[in-house]
Amino acid sequence: MYNTLKTLCLIPSVSGRETAVSAKLSEIISPYADSVFTDNMGNLIAKKEGKGENKKKIMLCAHMDEIGFLVTYIQDNGFIRVSSVGGISLVAAYAAGVVSEKGVHGIVICESGVKSSDFSADKFIIDIGAKNKKDAERRVKIGDFFVVEPSLRRLTSSRVSGRPLDDRVGCAVLISIAEALSEKELAHDVYYVFSVQEEVGCRGAKPASFAIAPDYALIYDVTGTGDAEGAKPMACSVGKGAAIKIKDSSVICHREVVEMLTEIAKEKKIPYQHEILTYGGTDTSSVQMTGMGCKAGALSIPTRYIHTQNELCDLNDAKACADLTVEFINQLK
Amino acid sequence: MKKLDEIELLRKLCLLFGPSGCEGAVSEFISEEIKDCCDSLKKDRLGNIIAHIGSGSRKKIMLSAHMDEVGFMVTEVTDEGYLKFDTVGGIDNRVLSGKNVSVETKDGTVEGVIGSKPIHLKKSDEREKVPKTSSLYIDIGLSSKEGASDLGIDVGSYATFSSEFYEFGKDGGKIKGKALDDRLGCAVLILLMRELYGIRDTLPYDLYFCFTVREEIGISGAQVAAQTIMPDMAIVLETTAVADIAGTKDSAKVAIQGEGGAISLMDRSTIYDRPMVDALLAIAGRENIPVQIKKYVSGGNDASHIHKSGVGVRTLALSAPTRYLHSPACVVDKEDYFSMIKLLSALLVSDVLAAI
Amino acid sequence: MELKELIFSLCSLMTVSSFEEGSFDELKRLLNNDFDEIKQDAVGNIILLRKCNKENPPKILVDTHFDEIGMMVTDVKEGGFLSVTSIGGLDRSILQASDVVIYGKEKLRGVIASTPPHLRGSGDSDKTVPIDELLIDTGYSKEEICELVPIGSAVGFAPRYTELLDGCIAGKSFDDKACAAVALHALSKISADELAGDVYLVLSCHEETVRIGGIAPAAFSLDPDYAMVIDVNFARTPDTPKAETLELKGGVSIAHSPITDRRLTLMTEELCRSKDIKFARVAAPSTTGTNTPALNLVGRGVPTVDIGLPIKSMHTYNEILNLEDAETLGALLREFVCSNEIKEAFAE
Repeated sequence: MYNTLKTLCLIPSVSGRETAVSAKLSEIISPYADSVFTDNMGNLIAKKEGKGENKKKIMLCAHMDEIGFLVTYIQDNGFIRVSSVGGISLVAAYAAGVVSEKGVHGIVICESGVKSSDFSADKFIIDIGAKNKKDAERRVKIGDFFVVEPSLRRLTSSRVSGRPLDDRVGCAVLISIAEALSEKELAHDVYYVFSVQEEVGCRGAKPASFAIAPDYALIYDVTGTGDAEGAKPMACSVGKGAAIKIKDSSVICHREVVEMLTEIAKEKKIPYQHEILTYGGTDTSSVQMTGMGCKAGALSIPTRYIHTQNELCDLNDAKACADLTVEFINQLK
Repeated sequence: MKKLDEIELLRKLCLLFGPSGCEGAVSEFISEEIKDCCDSLKKDRLGNIIAHIGSGSRKKIMLSAHMDEVGFMVTEVTDEGYLKFDTVGGIDNRVLSGKNVSVETKDGTVEGVIGSKPIHLKKSDEREKVPKTSSLYIDIGLSSKEGASDLGIDVGSYATFSSEFYEFGKDGGKIKGKALDDRLGCAVLILLMRELYGIRDTLPYDLYFCFTVREEIGISGAQVAAQTIMPDMAIVLETTAVADIAGTKDSAKVAIQGEGGAISLMDRSTIYDRPMVDALLAIAGRENIPVQIKKYVSGGNDASHIHKSGVGVRTLALSAPTRYLHSPACVVDKEDYFSMIKLLSALLVSDVLAAI
Repeated sequence: MELKELIFSLCSLMTVSSFEEGSFDELKRLLNNDFDEIKQDAVGNIILLRKCNKENPPKILVDTHFDEIGMMVTDVKEGGFLSVTSIGGLDRSILQASDVVIYGKEKLRGVIASTPPHLRGSGDSDKTVPIDELLIDTGYSKEEICELVPIGSAVGFAPRYTELLDGCIAGKSFDDKACAAVALHALSKISADELAGDVYLVLSCHEETVRIGGIAPAAFSLDPDYAMVIDVNFARTPDTPKAETLELKGGVSIAHSPITDRRLTLMTEELCRSKDIKFARVAAPSTTGTNTPALNLVGRGVPTVDIGLPIKSMHTYNEILNLEDAETLGALLREFVCSNEIKEAFAE
């Protein structure tokens, strides 16, 4: 999983501009699916047909976009004004290396003299080392996107850090599920959805689930933990297994799905924990009430330092999410 | 019927009474204007007008502009006949005191004024403060509650700004009026329909012209129009705040009046389809029509509801740079209005959108 | 069953958002075959159908939400205390020293811990306690409670109903199950011949917790011709503003708002006038805090009228309503679903 994850992390993919990572994901998942297509919004949807008589539609979804910056204005002196895309932590991004979708490198800084408590995106500037406006315009256009430089490294045999784990690790889980199911004859139709524009308000998953009209949906994303030093108390830790989501601030998961996942994890001895996040939301909320609605749940990968350039997770937790899903699909009547 | 020219059409549209949820007068006027230049015309359950030009066999493009404007709703009629109100849509408190308004009655409207305590009676700290909406009232000249009920004015009655529409500035190049947001978009759509209906057989697309309700309150009728049409693409015609007045930093100027319609890349609720943006820029370049990119990320419009509807809709927005939005005195530049019509017309007769 | 008993019975069910389905069987027992169909959909809405005796009947949707606010167990602390998070808009100022029921593997009673005045620091008494600092005392040890109460279990206010003077009653979750009770009661008493169309009563889920609740998928699958949303509204008390509140015993509220259908709203008012049903207009200039915005934008759009039952002390465990208003609401609903004028105007 590490190599797939690294490949995915290193392709910049800001919300609304996910084509490059989508192309890579399409290439990786195609051998495991019967059909692959991209919808109007840009969501990548791969389908594996089920052969059962009373077959259900199961949608598995991870988002492939990430937070970043949008170029809004180029100054006469060659500095670049930006707007933030998604909930970027400006304190964490301050003075970080950034790279544009076209591979232009730069540094993101704030106007000088601004206290970190007063940081806002309209005071942030990207310096690409340009001599002046003309020089800058040769390499960057209004409307280009920048991301904080991606990276991934191993900290221990299973723990990794870098960015954007949110949510390439979810994408990697989906690929690992697809691989595990590829040789099997399935009872149900399985849709692997790599959604766009989650970071700007869970926009992509809604049209995807409207088109699919699933009976069940599972969403894979990172979640906050209570085990970072000084973190808000929360019974969810890195390395303690797949986090079966019960609730976050945007959704309460379907009880049948929560209970079924919990039973399976117990029975198959797959490490698991329960997640109740008192802030934040995921695509789960968009999917649950779309169309006629579906039984929606989520499996989260506990992650520390989310939305910084060094997010940290344990790949054993990601593997547990994949294993649990494979069993869920096998056992679903 | 003699066709109204661009400015007269816009004047008529702006002067109509149509706050969010009460777009009947606007919708009647528009239906009358467009009934002879479309293949079908219908009003849906929420009051959106959907006019279709085409045979139904080509790529579907939805063009949308909203009919509603910001306004007021009566929340209480006092025993003395004053009307307490709240705003419908976002209006800055600083533009309320002392303004002229029209209040809906059972037949037509009556004129009123948003009252203001004389400055002489304001304490010194009061003079520095903008009054809260809850302390303001509309005065229509009555002295009892009964007078209001005789007119059919009650809790729930609507009001709007009442404001002259005029041309001013050098060569009368600027237009001032209320409700330019988004009657200007409606006017652009009507003029496009007149132009394109005659050549409908040669158009590469099925065009759905939508005049929508309730944009200003954010629970927008455009979503239902999009769910009904299920278009492949959508183009939203809007007005955008410009902030190009004296004292604004260059990087914070959203757009510049007189430099053409503003194309959005991203706002608070939509990231626009990049290939569509590029197609529009290419057409503008080829035809030498001014257009600009909206430089600042702010606001939101009907694109928010349209692009996520159904299975998703690729969406573009083109806006007239407008000063003093959501006030009784909005200002646009005529050249921007004219160039938007030219640009969209060039876009829709070409087949660039069919190819992407 | 008498209306008052039905209100008490429904409101006593535990239907904290996302736990609504646990009450489905008990609800069916309360209803003794008054409806032609009763089913639950994928997200947890309960949908009841009363058929009319007409050809090609229009579909009339009536919405009352069935979920209630409450809490969810997030952690077990030493000493067997439970930590919770809120479900829905909980008023933290009413929580300390309240009776609760914990819906673990079995039903347990509990008390929300409070600090006695002897022990609190100066100035603390006028601050509310953040929800994640509140503790529920269960009377069990940590080991025992871990067995009995899994993380994610619901906690609800203990049901207790009081009859006040002059037709007033007090208790929990009148928002919105008192309205659900009125609707069930009224619809069960109408004969099929009287109905203007097929009436779908949606006891909708997830209203209290998310922006677009269960009503959206329910309406998407039903595709109704027109709808009435019934929720509670604010009754006037000495501490509430006059412009935003209703007189208790003044009948139901009818909302005037950009998101409600104007013609349907005016026709409903006309119906009230002609049948001597008491109502008061309320203005909702941007939106209503009910299911109307979510319902209204579904599919081809749903023309909606938004009706409110005045209650006091909303979102506490002692909400107060007057039975006269409840009867008024029942009378209006009856006239609405039997109205041929409205049917003619809105049936497609």
